[in-house]
Amino acid sequence: MDYSALYPEIILALFAIAMPAVGMMLKDSKFLAAVSLAGVGLAMLAVFMHFYEGLGAAVFDNGLLVLDDFSGLFIMVFLIVAFVVILASAKFIEGEKHAPEYYSLILLATVGMMLVAASTDLFVLYIGIEITSISSYALVAFRKKDIKGTEAATKYFIFGGISSAFTLFGISLVYGLTGTTSFADIGVAVGSLVEFKEMIWLALVMVIVGFGFKVAMVPFHAWAPDVYDGAPSTITAMLAAGSKKMGLVAMFKFFLIAMLAIKADWEMVIAIMAILTMTVGNLAALNQTSIKRMLAYSSIAQAGYILIAIAVGTEFALTGGIFHILTHAFMKGGAFIIVATLAVAAIGERITDYKGLAKRSNFMAFSMTILLFSLAGIPPLAGFASKVVLFSSPIQGGLAGSEWLIWLSVAGIINSAISLYYYARVVKYMYVDELDEDVPVEKLKLPKSMMAAVAICVIAVISIGLYPDFFIQLCQDAARALLA
Amino acid sequence: MLENIPILSLLLLFPLIDAVVTFSLGKNPKAAKMSALVFSAIPLLLSLLMLTEYTQTAGGYQFVESFSWIDTLGIQYIMGVDGISVPMVFLSTLLVFLAVIFSWDIEHRTHQYMALLLVLELGILGVFMALDYFVFYIFWEVVLIPMYFLISVWGGPRRSYAAIKFFIYTHIASLVMLLGIFALYFEAGSYNGYYSFSMETINAVSPFFSDTFQIVVFGALFFGFAVKMPMFPFHTWLPDAHVEAPTAGSVLLAGLLLKMGAYGIIRVAFPALPSGAEEWQLVMVIMAILSIVYGAVMCLAQKDLKKMVAYSSISHMGIVLLGFATFTELGIAAGVFQMFAHGLITAVLFMMCGVMQHKVGTRNIPRLGGLAAKMPYAATFMVIGFLASLGLPGMVGFVAEFSVFTATYDAFGWLLLVPVISVAITAAYYIWALQRTIFGPLTKEVDTEHIHDLYWYETLPLAVLSGLIVLFGMFPGLILDYIRPALGTVVGLLGGI
Repeated sequence: MDYSALYPEIILALFAIAMPAVGMMLKDSKFLAAVSLAGVGLAMLAVFMHFYEGLGAAVFDNGLLVLDDFSGLFIMVFLIVAFVVILASAKFIEGEKHAPEYYSLILLATVGMMLVAASTDLFVLYIGIEITSISSYALVAFRKKDIKGTEAATKYFIFGGISSAFTLFGISLVYGLTGTTSFADIGVAVGSLVEFKEMIWLALVMVIVGFGFKVAMVPFHAWAPDVYDGAPSTITAMLAAGSKKMGLVAMFKFFLIAMLAIKADWEMVIAIMAILTMTVGNLAALNQTSIKRMLAYSSIAQAGYILIAIAVGTEFALTGGIFHILTHAFMKGGAFIIVATLAVAAIGERITDYKGLAKRSNFMAFSMTILLFSLAGIPPLAGFASKVVLFSSPIQGGLAGSEWLIWLSVAGIINSAISLYYYARVVKYMYVDELDEDVPVEKLKLPKSMMAAVAICVIAVISIGLYPDFFIQLCQDAARALLA
Repeated sequence: MLENIPILSLLLLFPLIDAVVTFSLGKNPKAAKMSALVFSAIPLLLSLLMLTEYTQTAGGYQFVESFSWIDTLGIQYIMGVDGISVPMVFLSTLLVFLAVIFSWDIEHRTHQYMALLLVLELGILGVFMALDYFVFYIFWEVVLIPMYFLISVWGGPRRSYAAIKFFIYTHIASLVMLLGIFALYFEAGSYNGYYSFSMETINAVSPFFSDTFQIVVFGALFFGFAVKMPMFPFHTWLPDAHVEAPTAGSVLLAGLLLKMGAYGIIRVAFPALPSGAEEWQLVMVIMAILSIVYGAVMCLAQKDLKKMVAYSSISHMGIVLLGFATFTELGIAAGVFQMFAHGLITAVLFMMCGVMQHKVGTRNIPRLGGLAAKMPYAATFMVIGFLASLGLPGMVGFVAEFSVFTATYDAFGWLLLVPVISVAITAAYYIWALQRTIFGPLTKEVDTEHIHDLYWYETLPLAVLSGLIVLFGMFPGLILDYIRPALGTVVGLLGGI
């Protein structure tokens, strides 16, 4: 059997399993982080070498997993997210118990995401999702004594469990109707399915509900702000930049490969969900007082934007969706890591705690401004470039015949404008407002490793914004690979 | 020799470099001011060089530079200027240079203030020179950020509200415009067989676009530009932003940012969607006249000098749109000239508002009076500015407004009476406002003992602007000779009335 498609996952899984053993010898968080980073680096190298040697798509076991342009890109994105999160964690969880398990779980969660990206089979996809979910339930509850964290983990677990049940039920219906779990075969079978149309709709509903929970699609989003708020900020970064994107990847695969033949049946539902998700997310973000909750709602809204790609379903739209996932991983991941970094310096999580931040740490205020403006889609930053591709795709679809798609662009754009308000408000607090009187005006001392993690995100956001060509090309190749 | 210098890119490069340099001179306000002064002088010199090197009769775009940027989407960095943009580029570099001088007394976060002025210059120049819709849009948005900070950090008491209102209001408008640009991009792509954001590529196939498409997309673009200009009823952000903005911010806002809207109509909306423009002509005329009348009437109701000037801007930008909406060469040329004229005049007016605020401590017209005795120089410039604004012959505003009205009469006949009468009302009110602020008995409402006349950094910009107002009023050909040869293409597309 050809295992080359699995090398990155195998490497990372080995590191994850070895981590507790390594932890027996040395419990230092920095050392463990370094080992984990080495694992992530090796996995990256494996992906890189695969494409560098021009091996093309590698298929594992007659089509359970594939390493092609699509999965390669997403595996890279998930690995980068893991890299940044681990880098920021080294200092963030310093001195806490169970550091080895923490890193082990992050690596395992990443393995799950990579499996989802690589899967060509509904069942492998499900297993990937479960590996990630179960690891992240534990990670959210990592600080056992923290009431908020425990509550968040419980909520996350219950909602996650229910959503898994829905997904599994949907999958079993699909299997029962088509007799296969491979996406490509389902795609063929669904197209020729004349009887039991109602059953396939039921399966669609189940899967939409199941995935809807995972990507926090409205109206299945209620858990997200609580969990994002309660989890340790580095884990929130991973949830927003990694696991949620995994859900979207799963949706890409399910809807655009397996269910493409009956697109007319579900495109309107997804379109309405997309508009609802972005609108509710943005409106709810407007008057949040906690920065983490605000970013959580903004994350919901961004998932709504990405759903546009599924509703439109063209190669160009999918390019936009993938591109936005890529940029959003940096923007949102970076923003949550800034929150984590500032928490180390005892700055709270209320938005008002960021008053006069520019005076205390120019770098942090500048980075946050860049990331927030990028989230709002202000040029010439990465978020603008990806929104351009994403929001213009419905117009292309509209001019090509389905006029109603244009409303997706209109909704996306109105929402972008709304979102500017709450992003700009944070910037205003940081730069315009003066420090509260009881706060001493002195430069903050922040851990170097966390600043490095933030710097990676900011540099990525700026350079993707200035030279998006290369990245659009990558995303286009990925979209082609998926739709081929 | 000069052919080889990428003059337009240098125009963009120097403000950018200087914004960084000035910002990093944080500890030393004096050095920040000097560096802002020197570096904003360089673009001014470059634009003067451009004025002399530009071949007026040739028409078309000159000094064109083009590099590919985002190949996958057909986006190129194309810069070029024609007779419409040359005066605007000159105006931009001039006003920013003068605004830097006028802000010499800024003590609060000087380095940031100066750096933001220069970023603003970068954005504005980019808008006036870009020949690719995508790049155009990027510069268009880049302008918002420095202006947002200028208002929200250095503004008046309600600065927070005004800044966010300005930011979101104009951001929505630009997003709607962006939708229109996307539509153009895909529609032109389906005719060309390849996708490109280049203005020339898209405009070349614009006459083939279907009428429905043109009407809808023109609506989207026009909305974006009308908010920026701003035209009634999309103007509500303007008085707030102006009243709260610091003086230099107001000068650049009224002098340049509003011009971006008008420039967008003539550079983007008309050539890309000529028959859409024809369908929208009536709406444009009505909006233009409403803006002229509304701006004038609102002027009458204002007690705050600055708010009055802000409303007069709406009125004057209405004249620009009226000129454009005639679709004649004379009307459009006069509209562009009015953009230039209003840029000079409104700068003087807003600087005078700033002077009043600084010296007297209030801009409330009823509380002022007889100040000519205390500050004769300031009074002189104020009279020049007000007279120019009301359209006194011999000054630059007169030429522009008179030509617009001539073109309006040719195109629409006696409809002309409405704007003319409202302009006449404003004129009367201006005179009255002058009388109440600087003439008559000295006010007792405020402490006039310690009023100091203009400092050098206030006199210099005002003198330069006043000189130019008279110069171009006497010899409007100096600017019109650039504008007129450039209009052939757009007038031809509009049916060449």
